[in-house]
Amino acid sequence: MAMKETPQMKSARANMRPGKLSLPGFLGDERDLARLLDEDNEAVKRLGLTHAAVAARMRELRDAGAKGLGEFIAVAPHFDVRVDSVRGRMPCPFGERGLYPKTNVTVRNLATGRDITYTDLHIHLVAAHGFYEGRGTPYRLEPADLAAILEIRPANKEETP
Amino acid sequence: MMTAFLIGLGVMCAMVLLMTLVILVCDATIANYGPVQIVINGDKEVTVEGGRPLLSALKDRQIFIPSACGGRGSCGMCKVRILEGAGDPLATELPWLNAQERRDKVRLSCQVKVKRPLRIEIPPELLDVRQYRTTVLRLRDLTYDIREVTLQLAPGDRIDFKAGQFIQFEVPPYALTDDPVYRAYSVSSSPSTHDRVELEMRLVPNGICTTYVHKYLKEGDAVTINGPYGEFHLQDSDREMICVAGGSGMAPIKSILMRLDELKSPRKVRYFFGARTGRDLFLVDEMRALERSLPDFRFIPALSAPEPGSGWQGETGLIPAVLERHVTSVANAEAYLCGSPGLINATVAALKRKGMPEDRIYFDNFG
Repeated sequence: MAMKETPQMKSARANMRPGKLSLPGFLGDERDLARLLDEDNEAVKRLGLTHAAVAARMRELRDAGAKGLGEFIAVAPHFDVRVDSVRGRMPCPFGERGLYPKTNVTVRNLATGRDITYTDLHIHLVAAHGFYEGRGTPYRLEPADLAAILEIRPANKEETP
Repeated sequence: MMTAFLIGLGVMCAMVLLMTLVILVCDATIANYGPVQIVINGDKEVTVEGGRPLLSALKDRQIFIPSACGGRGSCGMCKVRILEGAGDPLATELPWLNAQERRDKVRLSCQVKVKRPLRIEIPPELLDVRQYRTTVLRLRDLTYDIREVTLQLAPGDRIDFKAGQFIQFEVPPYALTDDPVYRAYSVSSSPSTHDRVELEMRLVPNGICTTYVHKYLKEGDAVTINGPYGEFHLQDSDREMICVAGGSGMAPIKSILMRLDELKSPRKVRYFFGARTGRDLFLVDEMRALERSLPDFRFIPALSAPEPGSGWQGETGLIPAVLERHVTSVANAEAYLCGSPGLINATVAALKRKGMPEDRIYFDNFG
C-alpha cells in the first residue's frame, strides 16, 4: 500500500521544485514523492539492504577519499575516490536545520569500470529519508547502481528496515 | 455548547486563512512598491524598482554582490548589512547568519525584498565591480579534466584586479539550466593584462557551469562575466612566500606568480602543488620558466601516487607532509593556499605546527 503524503512531505515536495533550493530541483519527472519513496524503499529491500547500510557505505568511502585532499586516492580493495568541493552549501529539502557542504564524492570501481558521484546532502537524504532523488534529475542515485558500484552487500546490513 | 465552539473556531480559522490568501495574492499581483531609494555606505544613492530581491535590484543598477547560487539562498555569499528598512531575517536566512552577524544586521541580499527605502553597507570595493561582455579567445585542455578558458574583453574595455581575486562567470540557459546562473572562478592571468582574463576550470560531475565550459563552450562564443571579487590576493609585503595548491587551485597562485615576475620581486617563494599522478600535473613548463625568471622561486610538484614505471623523480606524498619536509622556518613567511577544504585544512594545520600565526595564512577555500 502506497505511503500517504504527510504535511512534512508536502512541504518537502514544494522545496524540491526546480529553482527553489537547486536549479534542477530534486524530483525530476516524478510528481508523487510518496510513491518515489515507496519504490526506492522496495528497491533497497529487494537488494537485501537498508537505507542506513547504503548511507553508511557512502559515508565510509567519503571519509576514506577525503584523505586524498581533493585528488583521487586508492581505497581498498579496488576503488579510486576523490572528495572535492565547490562553493556553497545546501539545505535539506525535508526541512531539518543545517546546511550541507557541496562536497562531491566520486567513486570509481576499478574492477567494473563504473563510477558514481554523490554529495554530503545525498548521504543525509538516504540515511534520514530513504530519498535518492527523482528520475530525470542529474543527481538521481539509483539504489542498484549504488549497491553495485560501492559493493554494498547484505552482509553490510546495519539494521532491518 | 461544544458544537458552537467548534463552529466558531472553524469560522475564525477560515477567516484567518482567507485574509492570509488575500494578502499573499495582493503582494504578488497588486502591490506596487514603485521606485525605492537605497543609500549605500552612507553616501551613494540608487533608485531601484521595488518588490524585487535586493540582490537583483542592485544588479540592475550595475552593483554586483557576489553570489554562487543565483539567488536561491544556498551559497550564503551575498551578505550585506541592512541598517534600516528591512524587517527581521527570514527563516531561509537564519542558517547562514551567526549571532554576531544577526546583531550587526547582516542579511542575505537574495532573500530581502526591497519594499521601502533602505540604508545598506557593502564592502566599498564592490562598488568597483563591473560587468563585462567578452568573447572566448582560446580553449585549452590542461589535463583530462581541467580546461583553460581565455576571455577577450570588448575593444576599449579594461578590467583591474589584484592577483588572486576571482570573477563570476555567467552560464546562459542550455541543456542543464533554463535560467542564467553565475559561478565564481579565480583569474589565472596577470593583473597587468587588462583586456583579457584567463580561467582554469575543473570538470565537476553534473556541475552546471563546468559541464557548459567543458562540453558546450566554443571559441568565439560570447560570455558575460562580472568582477573582480575576493579578499584573497597578493599582499604588499616583503615576507617569504609559501604557496600551496591542488587542481584548479593553480589559477590564483599562477596569477600571483606572474605578478611577482613582472615586479621582478626578490621575495623567496616556494610553491607546493599537489597531484595524484603525472597526468594530473599541468603548466609545469610555465612554472619552470618562472623559476628561471624569478630570483628565488622554486616550484615543487608532488605526486601522491606516481604511476609505476613513470620515472617520476620529484617529491611524492601529500602536500602537507612534503611542505613539512621542505620548510624549516616560517619566522618571516606568509602563506597563500588554494584548493579543496581538505587540502586547506591539512595545510593550515601543518603551517601552524611549524609556528606560523594564523593571520599570515591567506586562503581561498572552495568550500
